[in-house]
Order: sequence, then C-alpha cells, then structure tokens
Amino acid sequence: MASAAQSPAESGSAGAGGTGREHHSVKLPAWRELLNRVTALREGSIIVVTIVVAVYFSINTSSFLTGANFKTLLPYFAPLALLGAGEVFVMILGEIDLSIGAMYLFAPIVFYKLDQAGLGLVASMIIALLICMVVGLINGAFVAILGVNSFVTTLGMLFSFEGLSLILSHGTPVATPGAQVTQTEVKVHHIVNGHSIVLGEKVNHIGTFAKIFGGGVYSELIWAVAIVLLLQVVLTFTRWGLYTVAIGSNKLGAAEAGVKVKLVIIRNFVLCALLAGVVGVFEAVRSQTIQPDPSGPNELLLIAIAGAVIGGTLLSGGSGTVVGALIGALFLGILKDGLILQGVNANYLLFYTGLAIIVAMTANVYVGRVRRGHGGRE
Amino acid sequence: MWDGCEGGTADVSDEPTTDTGVVGPHSAPEDVLRLEHIAKRFGPVTALKDVNLHLKKGEVLGLLGDNGAGKSTLIKILCGFQKQDSGTMTLHGKPFEPKSVDDARAQGIETVYQDLALIDELSVYHNLFLRKERVHRPIPLLANRQMKREAREALDEIGINIPRIDVSVARLSGGQRQAIAVARTVNSDADIILLDEPLAAMGAKEGAQILDLVARLKAEGRVSIIMILHNYVQVFEACDRVSLIQDGAVVLDKPTAETSVEELTDIVVTEYRRAREEAHLHDAAPPAPPA
Repeated sequence: MASAAQSPAESGSAGAGGTGREHHSVKLPAWRELLNRVTALREGSIIVVTIVVAVYFSINTSSFLTGANFKTLLPYFAPLALLGAGEVFVMILGEIDLSIGAMYLFAPIVFYKLDQAGLGLVASMIIALLICMVVGLINGAFVAILGVNSFVTTLGMLFSFEGLSLILSHGTPVATPGAQVTQTEVKVHHIVNGHSIVLGEKVNHIGTFAKIFGGGVYSELIWAVAIVLLLQVVLTFTRWGLYTVAIGSNKLGAAEAGVKVKLVIIRNFVLCALLAGVVGVFEAVRSQTIQPDPSGPNELLLIAIAGAVIGGTLLSGGSGTVVGALIGALFLGILKDGLILQGVNANYLLFYTGLAIIVAMTANVYVGRVRRGHGGRE
Repeated sequence: MWDGCEGGTADVSDEPTTDTGVVGPHSAPEDVLRLEHIAKRFGPVTALKDVNLHLKKGEVLGLLGDNGAGKSTLIKILCGFQKQDSGTMTLHGKPFEPKSVDDARAQGIETVYQDLALIDELSVYHNLFLRKERVHRPIPLLANRQMKREAREALDEIGINIPRIDVSVARLSGGQRQAIAVARTVNSDADIILLDEPLAAMGAKEGAQILDLVARLKAEGRVSIIMILHNYVQVFEACDRVSLIQDGAVVLDKPTAETSVEELTDIVVTEYRRAREEAHLHDAAPPAPPA
C-alpha cells in the first residue's frame, strides 16, 4: 500500500537510517549538502541565526571576540541554559513551568537557613534541592492528577514561593554561605634593573565548595554543558525521553499504549524544579550574595522560556531539544553582550532584545519549514 | 430470536435469549475470552447496559453497531484502559480483571484503537515498539538499530510496505498509519487482538491489504481477533461470527454463515425507526404543568 502513493518522506533528502530502501536524492553541491544537514537538525535554525549574530558583532565590535568577553558572557548564558534544559522537558509535554523563578529564589534562602542551623554546606544544599523537587512534585501532581492547567498551577506556585522567600529572608540580602572570598598575601620575586626585589601581593581565594558549585570561573559552564548533554541523551536515547515526546504529541494515544502519563509528567516537573534550584544556588554562590528580590528571577524565567522556544522547543508540545535551549540561551547572551559592547543605550537594550527575539523566532519558523521540506531528523 | 450459538458447535447457553432480545451469556469450553453482564456508565450516560460476549481460539469476531452503541467502550474495557462498573470477564477460563493496558497486554491482549494511538512525532519504529522498547544493558539506552531492524523484519513478514521507518508517522498516509497500528499489535506475543475500526480512513486497496493480513493471522490460528467494522460486506468477508451491539447490549450473535446483510440491515433499520419514533414522541409530549 505504501508503494502505491509516494510517501512525503520519499521526497526528502537522504537522511540517516540504514534500511537500504531509502530514496536517494540527486547529488547536491557540498555547501548545499552542509546547509541541508544543518537545517535538518531541530536546532539548525538557531545555530544559523546565532552564527550570523556572532559574526556581525565580531566584525562591528573589536572587543567582542576576546577571552575576557567570553568570561563576561558565561554568567549570563550558563544559568539560562540550565533553566531552559528543565523547562524543555516540561514544554515538550505541552505544559509550562513558571515556578522556576520561585525555585531559583527559594533554594538559596533555604540553603542559607539550613547552613545557619548548622547542617553544613553540602547537606544544606542537598536538602534545599530536595525541597525544590517536592515543589516540582506538587506542581506535577496538580497538573497530572488533579488536571489543573500548568500555567495557572505554576503561576500560583511562583507567587507563593517568592512570597515565602521574602517571609523567610525578611527581604534582607545575606552573604552566601561557603562563597566568601579570602585574601592571602604572597611574596613575589621581581627583577628590576637587574636587582631582585620581593613584593607582597594579595591573592583572592574561594573555598572548594564555591569553586565546584558556581563560584569557579568555568564552574557553571561545565555544569551547564554536562547537564545539557546528559539531558539531551535522556531525551533522545531513553524511554523517559521517548515517553515525554509521546505524551506531548498524543497524550491519549500514549496512555492507550500503556505509557504511565501521570508519572512522566510529575517526573518532568520535579526535574525542572530541581534544575531551577540548582541554578539558584549556583548563582548565589557566584555572586556571593543571596538577594531576596523576585524581579530578577521573574525576568530570568521568561528569558529561559524564550531561549528554549528560540532553540526549537514548541510551546504546543511534542517536540523540543535541550541542546537547542542551550544554543537559544547562547544566542540571547551574545545578543545582550554584543549590544552592550556596541554601546547601545541601556534604555534601548530591552527593546532591541525583544525585537531580536521576534526576528530570531521568525527565522526559526522559516528555517523550520525548510527543514520539514527537506525531511528533518526524526 | 436467536440463540447466539456457533453453528455446528456444542455451545450450551446457560442463559439463552431474553425477552428483550438481548443475548445472554454463553459457556463454551473452547472460549478464550468471555464477558458476562458488562455495564459501564459515564455520569448520566449509559455506554454499556448488559453486554455478553465470547470469543473462541482462532476466531475472528466482527463487532457491529451504530455510533455511540458502546463498541469502543467495550474495547477499552477489554484492553484495561477503562474498568467496567459491573459484570465479569474471564480469560482462558480464569477471572480477567486488567488493572492497566500494560496488565492486559501482559496477559496477551493487544489493541488497535479507533484513534490509532500512534504518536505523530515519533518514528515508525518507535511507534511499533512503544512500551516494548528494546534497550541496551546495563545502561538502558534505546537500542534504536535493533528496533529498526526488527521493525523492518516485522513489517516485511506481515507484508506491509513502508519505504522509510525512521520518519515520523505524521508523514505517512492514513492507510500507512493504520497499517503501522495493526502491525504494532501483530508484532507482539498477543493471543487476542482487538481492532477498533481498523479500516477507517482507508482506501479500498489499503483496506483489502489489512483484511488480507487478518485472513493470514486467522489461517495461522494463533490469535483470536475482535474487530469493530461498519461495512457489512467486510464483516462477511473477514469474520467467522458477528455480534451486533445496540443501545449498550448485544442483540445479535451469530456465525456469519447463518446470517445475511439483509438480516443485519433489517435489525439496524428497525432500531433506527424505533429510536426516531421515541424521539418524535418525546418532542411531541406536552410540557409538564407547573407545580
């Protein structure tokens, strides 16, 4: 029967797969082949857009393509990539989690309180993250078992836990435990005009805990890349990922096939809340301060969702990529950083960012159409 | 009106036809599946009133009935997706109370749903193996190559030609999707297969291929099949026996050799006229006087 009518798949370019029955398209020039391969990826469109933006800023701003600027970019993009990674797992289900802003704010405050109570840094962090997971479980239970809309549920949780964060912290910023910088003086030998002299120089030190959990220069980046890659493997190569896509694509069908829909939904909300808590603690350690101010997290959560969407995850569910969310976050980071380096007036920054998101999304939709036309990765 | 017994078999009807024309429960030693007095309500709506059904090994049973008669509900109860309010089921002579779709599947019942239960975003082979995925050990990553190979072999074996199995099923035609859904059940160790309108959304040629597949399975004699159909000609072509559900109960249960398109049509038309008259009477009834 299939041979009677030409399948849409048959008209696509030869893709991966080893059935030996695929239709092979005519030989394309190398650059077209490469372009087709890139656009065939779900993340393809945002990869193209990000490269274009990076090249633009590199040409127009001399200080863009420097190591120092890369270090400036990291604190912005790594947390967004982690938040986006968790959000992707919820968004593929066709749901959304707005409470990540609250978990981002709440986790470091609980961490601080527990450390003050004498539990120690690691134990305090683990318990704070476990509490975030319980909040995720409650979110998931409301959505999966009680059938409450995820936007409403997590909006309620966002306000509740941001409020609880203010109550617990009395609205007062505190120094993050374990993140204090200590200074030591070291003797350094210098040769001046052939004479050896010894001068005392002050060197900053941070503890091992801080170095590992967000305080080190590349700490958050390493965590972000490792977690993103791990979760991409989970999404693409495990039953968990398969069921997540199945539920987002056809919830009833997945249930009829025997997928434990409620369990997967709850699990994904738990993951999302956990990652938000992790980012909250990391950022508190990096900045050495716990700021109980909901405005920052509220902005961050929306940018993380924007990054995930720009990266190729559908708000309607059924499709998404964790690596795409990372690249989406990188795009937003490059954009903000590049605009600042170009000397764009701070008052215009948000306006330009908004416009760029719309342009990137439009490009995304267009390239996505090309991708589907060429037979994308499935 | 009819006794519901198999032609030429020694079925003993312990509760023969009732006065209302509803077929009562049967007992036959060769039955692999029996349903007795199954009822199901959804709030104020009665989907199944009193359903009695039986299925023999290797038999193809055609389930007929108007839209809303309760056929799909019956299938969903059988496959463990929903639970009946009352009534009993036995599978291979033992009480059958599936707790879930997985549980029913573990006991050998596979289903192709009316809405196909295919996942558009997943590839053909992932759909074929959904909930039966092959994974590597000790790290349980999906064994995609193995699944692709086995999917190709399974499709070839049952004669379904899908050019590419690594594309999403959203890209397939209605007939190809249906074929995948049927193949998913055949590609299992099930001994009972439930097909909820397997020929819906299919052209004549594609439909014929699915019926060929059913005929091949029947010839092998390994599985028993319950199939919901609307086309009477297809019922007589593919089924050994036909059960007609009306208003939540089985009102006819006969071997296809002992009935005819005319008889089935006559029953359906009579029921249709009765329902229309009831509706007219209801519309014509004067409103109740105010208290």
